[in-house]
Amino acid sequence: MKTGFFSSPHVKRLAGCMALAFVLALMIGNQEGSQDDYGLAFRQAIFSPRIILFIAIGLLVFAAMTFWPYITPYLLRPGVRPLAVGGITVLVSQTLLKWSDDGRTGNGKFNSVASKAANTDGLAPMAKLFFSNYLGWILLLVTFGLGAAAILLSLRALAWVAAVLGVVGGIWAYTSQAAVRDFLGTPDHSTGGGVALIGYLTLAAAALATALATGDIADTRAFVNRLLAWRPGMPLVVLGLIVGVIAFVQATWFSPQGSNQTLTDTKNFFQGNGLANLAYQYLAWLGYVLFIATLLTAAAASYLRHKILGWVAAGLGTVALLLSLITMYDMTDLAAAAGVDGATGPWQNLGSGAWMACAAFFVLAGAGLVVATLGGRDEQDESAPAEAPAARSSDTLSRGFSAPGSSKVFLFVILATALFYPPTATGFWQKVLVSEIGIYVLLAIGLNVVVGWAGLLDLGFIAFYAIGSYTTAYLTGALPYKPPSFLHLSPLLAIPFAIAICLLAGVALGAPTLRLRGDYLAIVTLGFGEIIRITANNNPGNITNGPKGAFGIPHPRIELGPIKFVWGQNNLQYWYLLLVLIVIVVLLFRRLEASRLGRAWAAIREDEVAAQATGINTTRVKLLAFAIGASTSGVAGVFFASQIGYINPENFVLNNSILVVAYVVFGGMGSLPGAMAGAAVLTWLPEFLKDQVPAEDRQMWIGAVVLLMMIFRPAGLIPAKRRAAELRGLNRSSSAEVGAVPEGEGMGARA
Amino acid sequence: MSLLEVDGIEVRYGAIKALKGVSFEVNEGEIVALLGANGAGKTTTQKTVSGMLRPSLGEIRYDGKRIDGTPAHELISLGICHVPEGRHVFPRMTVNENLEMGAFRFKRPDDKLQAHVLDLFPRLRERIKQQAGTLSGGEQQMLAIGRALMGKPRLLLLDEPSMGLAPLIVKQIFDIVREINNDGVTVLLVEQNASQALALANRGYVLETGEIVLTGTGRELLADDRVRAAYLGEEIAS
Ligand SMILES: Nc1ncnc2c1ncn2[C@@H]1O[C@H](COP(=O)(O)OP(=O)(O)OP(=O)(O)O)[C@@H](O)[C@H]1O
Ligand SMILES: [Mg+2]
Repeated sequence: MKTGFFSSPHVKRLAGCMALAFVLALMIGNQEGSQDDYGLAFRQAIFSPRIILFIAIGLLVFAAMTFWPYITPYLLRPGVRPLAVGGITVLVSQTLLKWSDDGRTGNGKFNSVASKAANTDGLAPMAKLFFSNYLGWILLLVTFGLGAAAILLSLRALAWVAAVLGVVGGIWAYTSQAAVRDFLGTPDHSTGGGVALIGYLTLAAAALATALATGDIADTRAFVNRLLAWRPGMPLVVLGLIVGVIAFVQATWFSPQGSNQTLTDTKNFFQGNGLANLAYQYLAWLGYVLFIATLLTAAAASYLRHKILGWVAAGLGTVALLLSLITMYDMTDLAAAAGVDGATGPWQNLGSGAWMACAAFFVLAGAGLVVATLGGRDEQDESAPAEAPAARSSDTLSRGFSAPGSSKVFLFVILATALFYPPTATGFWQKVLVSEIGIYVLLAIGLNVVVGWAGLLDLGFIAFYAIGSYTTAYLTGALPYKPPSFLHLSPLLAIPFAIAICLLAGVALGAPTLRLRGDYLAIVTLGFGEIIRITANNNPGNITNGPKGAFGIPHPRIELGPIKFVWGQNNLQYWYLLLVLIVIVVLLFRRLEASRLGRAWAAIREDEVAAQATGINTTRVKLLAFAIGASTSGVAGVFFASQIGYINPENFVLNNSILVVAYVVFGGMGSLPGAMAGAAVLTWLPEFLKDQVPAEDRQMWIGAVVLLMMIFRPAGLIPAKRRAAELRGLNRSSSAEVGAVPEGEGMGARA
Repeated sequence: MSLLEVDGIEVRYGAIKALKGVSFEVNEGEIVALLGANGAGKTTTQKTVSGMLRPSLGEIRYDGKRIDGTPAHELISLGICHVPEGRHVFPRMTVNENLEMGAFRFKRPDDKLQAHVLDLFPRLRERIKQQAGTLSGGEQQMLAIGRALMGKPRLLLLDEPSMGLAPLIVKQIFDIVREINNDGVTVLLVEQNASQALALANRGYVLETGEIVLTGTGRELLADDRVRAAYLGEEIAS
């Protein structure tokens, strides 16, 4: 009887929820007692109203768990997920993110900014309204509630209201933040308003999908798909329009001494100062004309699906982009020569407007290209079975949005961001972009070959990075042993050597471990990584210079006759070098994935016995996976060594190997865009959280994000097709059958 | 001349001697059955022929040339295709992709051949876009055989194709094996299902703890008392 009561699952669950709520309540707020009251924090937690809030949340969680089977049918409704994502995004922006960097607004979070802004005279009245009387919160609640009601009850009229509210709310939130920023007039990099805008627009999209649903089902993804398919390239045109208008009308082009000069201001600034004529004309009128011409051509090409117009738009956009760059160079060069604001060379003191103009021209040219390269009707059936197995790209990004040309649209947006956003970022973010995000994206691409494609768990991946770095150090003469003089190389020339040595090292690791799979392989590779690091540390024969490491590794330079690039301290330069490397590697690897080798990797990952039976040389294929993955890591190592200039064994600890594995898993094992996105997001997140949450809490937030991700999207950010299938429960249904499950993956190795 | 000659091979797993001098031959165009109790060494024999294992003694000749010790992926280009025990399909590839993987040794899969294979296994045609892991056991076995056929075998090694299948499906599969054989493919068949295998086979060998103990035509073996006792559960009428 007694045991019966306590072992009831409901009681256990309730107890668990309550205990967790209690612990969480204790964790928030002041954690210290005082000299004469050691239990102060405890009592504060217990007696303050927040414990009630937490208990309520605990009860809610308990109810949700208990009635889960009744709830899920609703949660699976199309449109619920984007609605939830949108709501959470706005919530995050209003709780976690900063709405102002100015010290006068308290801690800069939404509530603190709102309380200050509501009582500030002279602030734009709409912004003041937004921040007063909790209107920001009420707006969120109403929009979310209406959207939820509309989606769950399939009420179209309500959905329209919610969609309009979402758009209005987003713009209102964004402009309100902008108003506060303008009012305060200090440099500001806070993101609250922008993120709120994204969240509100997501809410609006979810509602709009319901409002415009053709059948009973309102699938947001199908809706977005229809939007993308309506006129290929049109999303790029719209994007180009928005970015371009901001660039040419409002944004800063030139900002010496903290003054923000729009395009017209810039023209006036340079008037009569001997600016090259072309550049001056660009500033005066050519820029506008080019923008309008490109925009109209791209729009027409996209609307009419006219290939020749598409090519024209692409050409116009390219020319305009080049002219923009030339103008930017000319004016900054002139300014530097005149010593404006201590500029030491061209490209300094440029505002974001100039770069936004470049981005606008780039995406417009992209839109033209999308239209120009649009296939006939047959290309639209992307699932035609004519292709070889695994030959099509394995990611679901392009599959989910299958409208023709939509993957190119994504590509151009990402490229435009990668090319033209970094120059406008702060020095801090430029550094993060190079030494964290970029490097780890490259490493993740490499590891994805081994873990994602060939299915071999490698926990010593950083060793190859170390080998690449030390090879560079040796070849540039930064180690005690100097290379023979003819081998004394500039860092970029070390790349082929690093690739060769890492290929060999990859084979050296692969060969003895061929028979191992899953956890056993992981342990051995882990050991390999540690051996490399400890060898570097122990300095046998004074080769590696021990814990001191190598210093004085020169920066890369390219001197080919008239072409001369010299890299120095500026992170931007490295970013573009890294971008070139990443693009080359991605292009190569995309081909590789679709090649025979890629298919062979897919086969051994799925079932090694079957792979052998179909004539795959499993030994060779596995060694190649190790070698190719390793050589990518080696390239990253060369880059790292020559960028940072000094290396020591501490750069190559086990933790970094594990992080790279985590990035690949987070992004989506076996999917190239996934691995890149995973690395980018998880390297960006900690840096981003730096000014959003207290330093002690940072790891907890990252952990929470990873945890949520693994619960709600276990196959990763951009899952590979096959992994997604695996996690949809295919394994569960087939594991009862002999040999239907690949042997030796994770737990399977011992089963 | 026989297509495959196995001459006194010995195979060891570490200290265990799984085959102790096995010799047999398979003539071009025949179906040869290999019978034996669990653990007798049938799978081991097949794996040795297909190149997944290497004999420590003895010779294997295929088409007159020695092939023992040649790795599996090279033997496939000679036309020795193996359907391993226990239906190893690629679970997360579709049926179509599985079949195309079977033609891995060629630059491109042969569309005509694929159509022919799908004619042999109409069930696979219906499920051409289904993930192989979601197929039923019998369908998976069909897929495994079909995949091997995509490699254009001259000698097809089948390891217990009837394992765990319903009698009706077993019959279907055996009919298909006969059809494949009629297309000119030589078959070396390992089976527990002695009566049906021997009815199908031209000749048969009985393995017992790593040695051939009995050989004869299918009919002879079916009539043999020892075979009947061991595999068909009949009392020896003595
Ligand atoms: N990898 C291995 N390591 C050690 N011993 C093995 C290995 N594989 C097979 N054996 C042993 O070799 C012997 C022959 O095995 P084999 O798989 O050839 O049997 P079989 O005739 O196919 O049996 P079944 O009808 O049960 O499939 C068995 O005693 C088995 O335990
Ligand atoms: Mg067997």
